[in-house]
Amino acid sequence: MKLKAFIGIDIGSLATKIVLISEGRLIDHRTERSTYDFKRIGHNLFDDLLKKNDLNREEVFLMSTGYGRNTIDIADDRVTEITAHAKGTQFFFPDVHSVIDIGGQDSKAIVISKKTGNVVDFQMNDKCAAGTGRFLEVMAHALEVPIDQFGDLALKSNKSASISSTCTVFAESEVISLFARGASKEEIASGIHRSIARRVAGMAKRIGVGPKLVFCGGVAKNPAVKKYLEEELGYEIETPEFPQLTGAIGAALIAQENNTN
Amino acid sequence: MDDLSLLSDLSLFLKEKKANGVKIVAYLAHDNIPEELLDAAGFFPLRMMFGGNDDLMDASHNFLPPSTCAFAQSCIGLYSTKPNIFSFLDLVDFFIVSNHCVSDICVSEIISKHFNIPRLDFYVPYTKNNSSLKYFKLELLELKKRLEAITGTEITNEKLFESINKYNEFKRVLLKVNELEILGSEKLKVLQRAMLYGPEFQPDLEKFIQYVRENPSSLLETSKDILFTGCSIFVNDNLVDLIEEGGGNIIFFDTWIGSHYSSQIINDSSIQTEKDPLDLLVLKFKDNIYGDHTVPNFLEQKVALIENYYQKYTKTKGRKLGVINHIIKFCDHISLLSSFLKERLQEKGISVLNLERDYSRANSGQLLTRIEAYLEMME
Ligand code: SF4
Repeated sequence: MKLKAFIGIDIGSLATKIVLISEGRLIDHRTERSTYDFKRIGHNLFDDLLKKNDLNREEVFLMSTGYGRNTIDIADDRVTEITAHAKGTQFFFPDVHSVIDIGGQDSKAIVISKKTGNVVDFQMNDKCAAGTGRFLEVMAHALEVPIDQFGDLALKSNKSASISSTCTVFAESEVISLFARGASKEEIASGIHRSIARRVAGMAKRIGVGPKLVFCGGVAKNPAVKKYLEEELGYEIETPEFPQLTGAIGAALIAQENNTN
Repeated sequence: MDDLSLLSDLSLFLKEKKANGVKIVAYLAHDNIPEELLDAAGFFPLRMMFGGNDDLMDASHNFLPPSTCAFAQSCIGLYSTKPNIFSFLDLVDFFIVSNHCVSDICVSEIISKHFNIPRLDFYVPYTKNNSSLKYFKLELLELKKRLEAITGTEITNEKLFESINKYNEFKRVLLKVNELEILGSEKLKVLQRAMLYGPEFQPDLEKFIQYVRENPSSLLETSKDILFTGCSIFVNDNLVDLIEEGGGNIIFFDTWIGSHYSSQIINDSSIQTEKDPLDLLVLKFKDNIYGDHTVPNFLEQKVALIENYYQKYTKTKGRKLGVINHIIKFCDHISLLSSFLKERLQEKGISVLNLERDYSRANSGQLLTRIEAYLEMME
């Protein structure tokens, strides 16, 4: 049977994203919390997508990516999130040179070949929450600020408190003591966002990222991290329309490429 | 031949040695320990080449800060927790305190002191000029005297020549193993076993090589070929399995467990002309361009060796070759040079994955992602 569509599923540690692509166009997508039961969430999202789009299992190719890519047994193939993000960002920005992805549990920097569109180098942070969405979550909680307002709060301050700890646990106590010493919430929030931007930019510079740089992953929705990353890197960066979906889109595009030659 | 059977066989082997009155000398240093001298004195040289896990690393923190290299932490963990399968470490009579790196100095001292194992000192210079070679010989003489005092028997030149020849022959056979076209995990297990047992394993090695030549493997077409450099993969470490799970196959071990050890062969003409066998050991030290003691040209040598192998391999096999540089967390000298090594090789068109990790099993998922992403890059 001829394939009618390509589905990419990106099973991250916090969120599972699924997209449906047909003839190179993004047709449909869903996002849900991954919970502890990756497999069930993945199956449900997949079934729902097929049903809503009136497709049979045999008419689609399912490519999995992300942290839980090996757990979903119905996938036809799998690819790492590094390769998937590189491909997915090219869907939005065909001339992308580099990618920074900050997700819930990790962050990565990727350099793409302008000639081939393939990954030429990458770097991932190492088993540490600093430089990830988790760091922001813990800090927002310590400051009692809803996470979706955290970035805007940081941008209200033109001063940034200095956060020197690179460890999330120590940084949390540092934040509390800054608070006790009378620093404003805005200043502290700004310092926290700067610290994550500095850490990720440092990692990215080590592999030679450059413009055009696309910032994706859940944290790309945070305006303060984006602004401070631009300041650290010294140039403007782009954010795609759906920054959380680039991995899933990339997986679907790779599935399409692999099956249409 | 899994790791557990390797360790229980080793345990029996060492017990038998002890029963026959052989003393066991353990050491951490990765190269430059004169095992020929230990052998000529009638001792059995036992390399600490066991990888760790979370429990072993945790168990070391009463003695070491967690910022010590993960391998050194695990060595202490082995002594402080004594897992059953490692109870053969109780058989060790002496521990060599050496200075391959800062971790080596600290850990060998701690093991000797806190676990009551008499120490033997052997300090190695970092350069290879005339004064340091003279110093190296003095260290050899000191060690020789110390060993003779323990046994009450002279280490004759004849005995030392015999041991030198024995290890030379053994390494020649071992070199051939690294060149076999077999699965990396299988090759590694043979290399590890050989380096634990020493020349007594040579007949098994020869049989193994013969067997592989008569039964060539057909597994290699689908996987991606990898030259593995940096820190060794020690016994009980699942890294090689992760690489294979990701679709890679290590075809060459440019590590201490691998070509660094087996390439340290003393040339026959020197053996025939040299009167003092200790000078042959000095020569071996001087000619060791593989180890991390090749200061000041460590990086240059490393780049040249990898480039050379890469060019030859890609030309003769017509296949792509990736390079994984393994950095055990807090192994400072490998870690500090890793970005330069990567940069220099990339300039020559050779892509490199710098794979830094400790022995925690919790991050195997992330490790596998990095490996798979690198292998995808090679497509
Ligand atoms: S792994 Fe590195 S730091 Fe650790 S003992 Fe070996 S050489 Fe030294």
